[in-house]
Amino acid sequence: MHEMALAQSLLSMAEEEIARCSCSRLLMVRVEYGALAGLMPEALRCCFEMLTSGTPHAQARLELVRLPLRLRCPFCGTTFGEDGEEDSDARNALAAHCPGCGELFGHIVEQGKEMLLSRIEAV
Amino acid sequence: MQIPVIRNVLEANEKKAEQVRARLRSGRILALNLISSPGAGKTSLLERTLRDLGGTFRMAVIEGDLQTTNDAERVAATGAQAVQINTEGGCHLNSDMVSQALDKLDLNGLDILFIENVGNLVCPVEFDCGEDAKLALLSVAEGDDKPEKYPLLFNLAKAMVLNKTDLLPYVSFDLARARAFASKLNKDLRIFELSCRSGQGLDAWYAWLAEERAGKLHGR
Repeated sequence: MHEMALAQSLLSMAEEEIARCSCSRLLMVRVEYGALAGLMPEALRCCFEMLTSGTPHAQARLELVRLPLRLRCPFCGTTFGEDGEEDSDARNALAAHCPGCGELFGHIVEQGKEMLLSRIEAV
Repeated sequence: MQIPVIRNVLEANEKKAEQVRARLRSGRILALNLISSPGAGKTSLLERTLRDLGGTFRMAVIEGDLQTTNDAERVAATGAQAVQINTEGGCHLNSDMVSQALDKLDLNGLDILFIENVGNLVCPVEFDCGEDAKLALLSVAEGDDKPEKYPLLFNLAKAMVLNKTDLLPYVSFDLARARAFASKLNKDLRIFELSCRSGQGLDAWYAWLAEERAGKLHGR
């Protein structure tokens, strides 16, 4: 539901970046988001299209890359992650014992909360 | 042209949040961002807290609401300062809204600022409002698997309040399960079981608030 706010922020950052390179039209915007970031890809796509249609960026493609959850056990240092690419896989990993020492608590999220604009193509 | 960039999509919000945080820090005001689903009892917890601690602390509330001013009126009836932000359908508060709301409050001598977010367990979590800590509120009338379904909130929150414990005999909420999963997500999470209606368990919550406030005052 907050994807409209994200799309607005994304677009204004992308416009800022291309202006710096003397470009005027976005062709592609890539976002990398963590498994726990609470992002609904389809909702973001839909908002992005609503904001770009009828503008010079109407042809811009939104590339969404999901960053899988990566956890680290603070007791034995083992890093581990999710088995699949669904949000339920991320939740299962959060509930799992450390594969190294069996500890259930305190696993540190090393990757999974990100929401990054990582690449732009423009002319 | 290919332009590689690494920028946080939420950077504009986070920059503003830092400004809000600095402003609150200079006044040594403890700010808590209350996040829950609709109906878990955010406003009830505030009403009780404002009434019971009104003689101890100066407190104010920023009320996020989709449409109405009902919650702000309930808070104002306790005598505390309240500012309403109507998001008009928006699902979360952001740092800019909070910054504007601060302009309408008398921050002089204020001890604690509560930010009552829009009832929603997903969107508000992503938007830093400049608070010192997020507080997750859950009521036993909901599912005990909420921490499993919405892990980011429980991972980021400093404390979790389990409200409406007076209803436990009538619902199938498993306190141990909710506590266990929330603790897995966040081993330092403080958990308070209480009922705003009966008053049971409120003392521990009040003691925590006093601790947090003292920490803020002494710059910890």
